[in-house]
Amino acid sequence: MNVPVDPKTLVAEMSPVSTSEQIATMKKALLKNIQRSAYVYRVDCGGCNGCEIEIFSSITPVFDAERFGIKVVASPRHADILLFTGAVTRSMRMPALRAYEAAPDPKIVVSYGACGCTGGIFHDLYCVWGGTDNIVPVDVYIPGCPPTPAATIHGFAVALGLLEQKLKAETHVEAAGETAALPHPDIPYALRVRLEREARRMAGYRQGRDIAEEFMALLEGHAHTPGSFSLSERMLEAIGEERDPRRAEIIGRLAEVVQQAIRGETP
Amino acid sequence: MLKLLKEIFRTGEATVKYPFAPMPVCKDFRGKPEHKAEDCIACAACTVACPANAIQMETDTAAGSRTWSINYGRCVFCGRCEESCPTGAIRLSDDFELAVGSKADLTRKAVFTLADCACCGKPFAPAKEVDYVARLLSQSARSAEEADRLRLTAATCPACKRAQDVHHIAGMGIARQMEAGLSKTGKPAKELETTP
Ligand code: SF4
Ligand code: SF4
Ligand code: SF4
Repeated sequence: MNVPVDPKTLVAEMSPVSTSEQIATMKKALLKNIQRSAYVYRVDCGGCNGCEIEIFSSITPVFDAERFGIKVVASPRHADILLFTGAVTRSMRMPALRAYEAAPDPKIVVSYGACGCTGGIFHDLYCVWGGTDNIVPVDVYIPGCPPTPAATIHGFAVALGLLEQKLKAETHVEAAGETAALPHPDIPYALRVRLEREARRMAGYRQGRDIAEEFMALLEGHAHTPGSFSLSERMLEAIGEERDPRRAEIIGRLAEVVQQAIRGETP
Repeated sequence: MLKLLKEIFRTGEATVKYPFAPMPVCKDFRGKPEHKAEDCIACAACTVACPANAIQMETDTAAGSRTWSINYGRCVFCGRCEESCPTGAIRLSDDFELAVGSKADLTRKAVFTLADCACCGKPFAPAKEVDYVARLLSQSARSAEEADRLRLTAATCPACKRAQDVHHIAGMGIARQMEAGLSKTGKPAKELETTP
């Protein structure tokens, strides 16, 4: 018989580990006068390994985290900082907790990557806890999928109290009468869509949009070039000036689209 | 020894200066998605596109508001929000310094007001979106009356539009109904006009 099961009843609700006040003061003291290297132990709680690769690239000579005394160690018993990566799969929960318990107090817990912060792309999987902070108290979150080596170094600097965090929670409330501007009101809507579509088809959404924007600014005559007035002259000049042959081709194609529209042809 | 020293001087220093100097990133770097709430029309395209559900929307019809929110801790920097945004309000920036001490600082929100349906008076879509669509449609209108009608269409909720359509089709008489049903696009002639 298939009785519908409430998934909540299948998951043991375990409260995350909490730290005592004494340990909190010890941690503050550690952060204030840490006069030595900070040893990092990496706990992989079931990530995709992208994060691990970036951690190792941040200890290469190019980013050289070791110049700040940050050293990756092989045992949690030597660690000051625990770096949790991955979305905490069910089977990695106990090993992660054991690593946490094995590290001597005071310890700093860093949640690394989108998976560590919130579960990331795996956040709603049946087999994950969805983030480090569901099992242990976290001091610093380093988002990114994976965080770049530079972001990793910034995160360590925030964890060690060397740099201030940049992000702040913000709420924008719509002002009365706030309106979004119509892009390029002088260009017919159908033509604008055609241009953007063609540019994106040829160059992808990022560069395609940028090229289409540039081209439409040109069409509207915002990019005045002295001496040339007619539309086709302006376009020819733009194509002639273009150093990159790929961009020149795309601009040429957009100019064709405009000519087609002027002649009243549908693509 | 001398050879080694020479080699060292020739190679120079490979280590980047970061964090003591700004880190140069390449063009089109995928950093933090920057949301310009002024340009956003709360259309929810990014919400649907976001594979990690980092962007979410909550509609509160009682308060007449829709709250857009992004959780940078969940974002995987794929750029699909940027790809889908019709107004270019969200775009991946160069900023990678996202580390925070408290999780709440990873969230950014924007609150938009809902517009009431011109027909039934119930809130149905963000006011900015309705306004944007109305202006976009009336831009391609052929006459002033058509522009007015399109504006009214944009400000009507889907349920009322359906009801009006049914009413309209019922009043058409059987011959015209057949004609409209058999037209090339399969849509009633009236609706064809509203699509630019
Ligand atoms: S955050 Fe991204 S790169 Fe890191 S483990 Fe998760 S999926 Fe992989
Ligand atoms: S970049 Fe991708 S994951 Fe991040 S908010 Fe945009 S759509 Fe979502
Ligand atoms: S797709 Fe763009 S305009 Fe629509 S809700 Fe997202 S950011 Fe706002």
